Formats: sequence, C-alpha cells, structure tokens
Amino acid sequence: MVSTSDLLSRLLDEKKLSFCQDCGSCTGSCPMARVLPGQYNPRRLLQRVSHGLPALLRDEELWLCAWCYRCTERCPQGIQPTEVFLLARNAAAGEGHIPANPTAVMRQIMRTGRSISVPDDFDEWREGYGLPPIGATINPKAINEQRRIFGEENLRRIGA
Amino acid sequence: MTEFLLYPGCVASVRELGYEMATRAVLKRLGIGLRARDDFNCCMPACLVHSVDYVRGLALTARNLAIAEEEGLPLLTLCSSCYGNLSRARELLSKDKGLLKDVNAALGEVGKRYCGGAKVEHVVTALSRMYTEKELGELSTTPLKGLRAAPFYGCHLFLPSRYAGFDDPEFPKKLDRLIELTGAEAVDYHEKTSCCIGCGNFFGKVSDVAALRLAEAILDGVKASGADVVVATCPFCMMQLEVGQMKLKEEKGKEYGIPVIHYVDALGLSMGISPGDLGLDLRRLDVAPVLNKLGR
Repeated sequence: MVSTSDLLSRLLDEKKLSFCQDCGSCTGSCPMARVLPGQYNPRRLLQRVSHGLPALLRDEELWLCAWCYRCTERCPQGIQPTEVFLLARNAAAGEGHIPANPTAVMRQIMRTGRSISVPDDFDEWREGYGLPPIGATINPKAINEQRRIFGEENLRRIGA
Repeated sequence: MTEFLLYPGCVASVRELGYEMATRAVLKRLGIGLRARDDFNCCMPACLVHSVDYVRGLALTARNLAIAEEEGLPLLTLCSSCYGNLSRARELLSKDKGLLKDVNAALGEVGKRYCGGAKVEHVVTALSRMYTEKELGELSTTPLKGLRAAPFYGCHLFLPSRYAGFDDPEFPKKLDRLIELTGAEAVDYHEKTSCCIGCGNFFGKVSDVAALRLAEAILDGVKASGADVVVATCPFCMMQLEVGQMKLKEEKGKEYGIPVIHYVDALGLSMGISPGDLGLDLRRLDVAPVLNKLGR
C-alpha cells in the first residue's frame, strides 16, 4: 500500500509548490480567512508547507480549513491547496498532533457510524413523524467493518 | 419506476427530520422510490478521518460507494456535504488507478470491493436532471406567487466543478431557476454563493465564532434584498442560518425574522403538499410569515 509519505511527496512536491505565483486567489476566496483575519491565511499556509513544515505540523492553523474548495477551484496553477492541507494534516497526525474537537467527532463516528449521537429512543420520535427507524447506531457489523478499514494504528491515534 | 438508494446522512436523519419528511413527501408524489440500507457509514468529511489517513479515510467513504455498486442503484444524498464527499471519492478513484488499488486493499480486509461504478446524486441535482424546466413548471399547480426567496446555494453542489459539476462554479444559476419554476421570485444578493462553514469545520469555539460571523454577513445580505425567506439546498446550511439567527438575537439583539426552508419545501408547497406533510412545523424558526403570505 502506498504510504502517506509517498502521497505527501507526490502532492507536496516542492517543484509543484514553487508554481505558486503568490497571487493570493486562495486567501481572497477563503471564507475562513474572511472572518478570521490574521488567524487563518491559506496562502501563508502553503508557504509554510514548503518552508517550515515541522512547525506547521504543531499549529492549529493547519486544522481551520472549512473545505469549501474555492481555493482549489480558483488556483490558476492548479495547486489544489485543499489536498495539500489534507496531506500535511496526515503528517501532523502521524506525529500525534490531532486537535481535541475533531478527535471527539472521530471517536463518535468509530463508535456509532455517525458523526452525531442519537438517543436510544430516537426512533420513537421519528415514528411520530412517519419516518422509518434508523437505530441508535448503524448496523453493528458495519461499525466493526469501518473500524477494521480505519485500522488499529489510526484507532489508537484518536483513542477509539 | 425510478428508484434510488437513500444515503440518509447524519445531519439530515438526526437533526433535520422536517427536511427528510419533505423529501420523502415530494419523491412519493413524483413516484420515485427509495431503497434503504442500515449499514452506510458516515460520509467522512475531509476534516475528520481523511485528515488522519488519506487512503484509509478515502476507503471509508468508498465503502458506501461499494454498497451502492452492490445494490446497482444510484445513491441519493440529502446533504450537500455527503454529496461532496462521496463525489470526491468517486472522482479520485476513477482517475487514479493506484489509489483505487490501495483503497481496495483496505476494503478487501472486510470483504468489500469498489470497481468504480457508483453514481451519486443529491436531491436537488437529481430533480434538476430528471425533469425539464417545462415539466417542473407543470408540477407547480399551486405556484408560490408573490413570495420573494433568497437562494442560498451551499458549496458542495457546485464546488469544485471538477466533480460537483452541477452548476457554474463562479456564477451558479440553477437554484434561482428552480425557485422561479415554483412560482416564487428568486432575489439576487451578494452572499448567495457564500460558505456557511457548517460541514467542514469541527474546531469547537473557533469554528463557532467563524460560522456566526459569516452567518451575520449572509443574513445581512438576505435582509437587504427584502426577501421573505431563504431557500437552501443543504441541511447543514439551513441549520447554520437558523441557529445563527437565534444566536445573533441572543448575543447582539439583532432580529432578522427570516424563515429558512429547503428547495424541496418550496417545490412541495407549489405541488400543493400540506406544510405539515413537509415537516415545516419542525423548522427552528417559524415559517408562518411565509405560509400567511401564500395564504396556506
């Protein structure tokens, strides 16, 4: 299986990142940069990926992208910042830097198959509105499958 | 009969029962069947497991595509985030055979395999592709005359165009057109293609602050347009724009009073389906002003 570091080198290829014209289309398009000025800036993040990755891997700024894909749509050099950030996060996760809130949601998913918790009596409520049952979790066999696909090492990383 | 495999999604099936009711009511009226499964896992937003492991994260999303392939039916998502994540996996795995091989190695550990044949639709993309404008117009037997609606596109139906592909990535127009075909007026405003920051960011306090700031900008835009209602395509956007109004009232004393509904609610109302059957009494903000204006 291709390792994350192989994927990283494929996408974080310095030559590719050097195609960046520093035009700022990514930051100018970014909803997070718009409402968190000074705190989040994808153009600066891209620069730090190629010049300062080790420090970036410990920085929460790496985890603030909201995945709207406007930067990837608009980058005139086709750099796909969203994919680059995803792979940089993989590297951060490999060093044990996964922030608390995403970790909690991932644990929830690995426990129930859903990102949102469902009360035990939820199906009664759904039935009241004429909706079919969904169960407090997805099919237990499917939960087991998703845990095995995610793998022991990743489960350990998120404490699930 | 046209049939889809329903991909229920966490937000729609747990937090947005009204929207699920509306979708089921409209599809039933149109004679479109929905098959159910109890073993779909979360679509896995990129900010979560994909952030930890690119390949295994993709495999977890693709597990859902493998199930759809087994069933031989197109997936129908209610949430635009599910549509985006499933479409991204489908696209990446159709273009990169090496990645498909790696993903199948992970899926093979649980006896599953994805061969690249899944189809993914969202309620809005499906309806828009299945019916001509003329047919949609004819469905509207009780048109929403006089209603001024602010379209809110949500990101993942049209971004990135490489796989969302539903509409123009810079100047989307289809939701405006779909709204007009219900008899309502689609008003223009400067935030209609903004992001709600709902589905992509689970960073706690920082995300909440960011989402509220953006909700305020979007709602200011809607208010200035003079719209009676926001018509969205995604349950996450609906939640953000409703909860945003509740929080802005509490924190800043700003009162917008703008109900938020989904396109299928507008379509359903124009088809003469009752507000109760569309689950409109489950909306977080009272839709009475909209129904009063329509005389329902």
